[in-house]
Amino acid sequence: MLSLDLFANAIVAGVLLGGFYAAVAIGLAIAFGQLDIVNIAHPAFVIVGSYIAYIVNTHFGLDPVLIGVLVAPVFFLVGVGIYRIYYAAFERTGQESLSGLAFFFGLMFIIEVVLILVYGVDYRLVRAGYIGETIEVGFVGIPLRMLVPFVVAITCTSAIYLYLSRTFTGRAILAVAQDRLALQLMGADPVRIKQFAFGLAIATTAIAGSLLIIIGPVEPSVGRLYIGRVFAIVVLGGMGSISGMFIAALILGIVETLVATFMGPSWAPAVAFGLLLLTLAVRPAGLLGR
Amino acid sequence: MACSIRVDEVSAGYGAVQVLESLSLSVNDGETVALLGTNGNGKSTLMKCIMGIVRPTAGRITAVIDDVEHDLFGKAPEQIVDLGIALVPEGRRLFPKLTVEENLLLGAYRSAARERIPYNQAFCFHAFPRLAERRRQLAGSLSGGEQQMLALARSLMTAPKILLIDEPSVGLAPILVKTTIDKILELKERFGLTVLMAEQNFHQAIRIADRGYVIVHGRIEYEGASRADLADNELVHRLYMGL
Repeated sequence: MLSLDLFANAIVAGVLLGGFYAAVAIGLAIAFGQLDIVNIAHPAFVIVGSYIAYIVNTHFGLDPVLIGVLVAPVFFLVGVGIYRIYYAAFERTGQESLSGLAFFFGLMFIIEVVLILVYGVDYRLVRAGYIGETIEVGFVGIPLRMLVPFVVAITCTSAIYLYLSRTFTGRAILAVAQDRLALQLMGADPVRIKQFAFGLAIATTAIAGSLLIIIGPVEPSVGRLYIGRVFAIVVLGGMGSISGMFIAALILGIVETLVATFMGPSWAPAVAFGLLLLTLAVRPAGLLGR
Repeated sequence: MACSIRVDEVSAGYGAVQVLESLSLSVNDGETVALLGTNGNGKSTLMKCIMGIVRPTAGRITAVIDDVEHDLFGKAPEQIVDLGIALVPEGRRLFPKLTVEENLLLGAYRSAARERIPYNQAFCFHAFPRLAERRRQLAGSLSGGEQQMLALARSLMTAPKILLIDEPSVGLAPILVKTTIDKILELKERFGLTVLMAEQNFHQAIRIADRGYVIVHGRIEYEGASRADLADNELVHRLYMGL
């Protein structure tokens, strides 16, 4: 029996989940959507963000979101470093498509294995006052462990959207994959632009990781579940469109929750790829692809 | 303050293919110099050498910007742009997935250009009203003529002292070629630019050129000290007028 309150709850939960997906996917929307860097290790960095939130939260009791924000600058520097290696080893010699993919694939494995060796495969979690609390609005329950990530995700996505569309560096990031040489003729150094943008992309995973572990416990291989999802979101939204990515993330969150509610959770992962295939068939440029 | 470019015995090529052979030319302050030649003679390669996109194998390229001399050899394109030299490249090379306005604002990326955005942008929209009408459209959706206008306008947004233009007439209908060339003269006078323009449309180019060079197989075959000189030259007649 399709009850209204079940449906309403699923929609609200889906929107909240979708907002969180946007926070996970936005870094990839920059790296893959804007810079053409197939960073398959993106979810692995999110997991590292989760573990840092777990460690600091366990030892010092700091709020996970605050930890994510504080760690983001460190992640930025890590991203800059990774791009330098990637550029020197692959991009400069034009081998980024296959060797670059292998590079990030390897990076993903190393991250996962190191996490397993150090922390094992047990699920880890964080503590915060709001985890476990629920606001009741009529017959719809809004768990704070979903609402907090949603609000942070919206803030993050809007800030990055504004940054890319309103600043000189932001616009250069939007332009760099379209025509490198033309960007040089505007007086910008494409390598520095990409380096900064990739740093920004990795910085977002620190925050996304802290949100992930607020939503639920995390173990090292959880990242793999997100590889398909985040790539699906970026392609579905239209490569290079931040607002398209956000809409795609919401759609995926809502559809996954509806499927999980009315058909069973085991169907939910198939939805991401179903949507991706459908998009590629019907609208290859994605929802808001230019 | 004076601005000029000097190319001294520059040789350049791609791999084993030699394109420029010991080529020299100069553009003096405030001049419009035409670099005339048919396809495949090295016009674009010379432009790319000046901008640091192609590295010459021999020779020297220097630019004087506001009375200060700079050696351009070994500098990256973005550093050369930052000195105040702009190139409207062959094929325009707009950012097709960005709007007209975003393309213009990217032109003003370098810090010296940012302070002049209000003035320069207002001027671009005044000089090219079509661009003002289409400021929110994607550059990739513009017609060929509009794209050439945008490429010119975008290069002006970099607030250059010296402007290099590579084949502005390519791919344009004859009527648009004429208006484009007229616009170049108008912009040059308005901004007090020093201009080097590569062109194969001889008749249009010499309408606005003070003097010019004819390039054949990577060498300067003829140097015309004035518009009249170029129009009277036998080589020019042979190459361009089939006489």
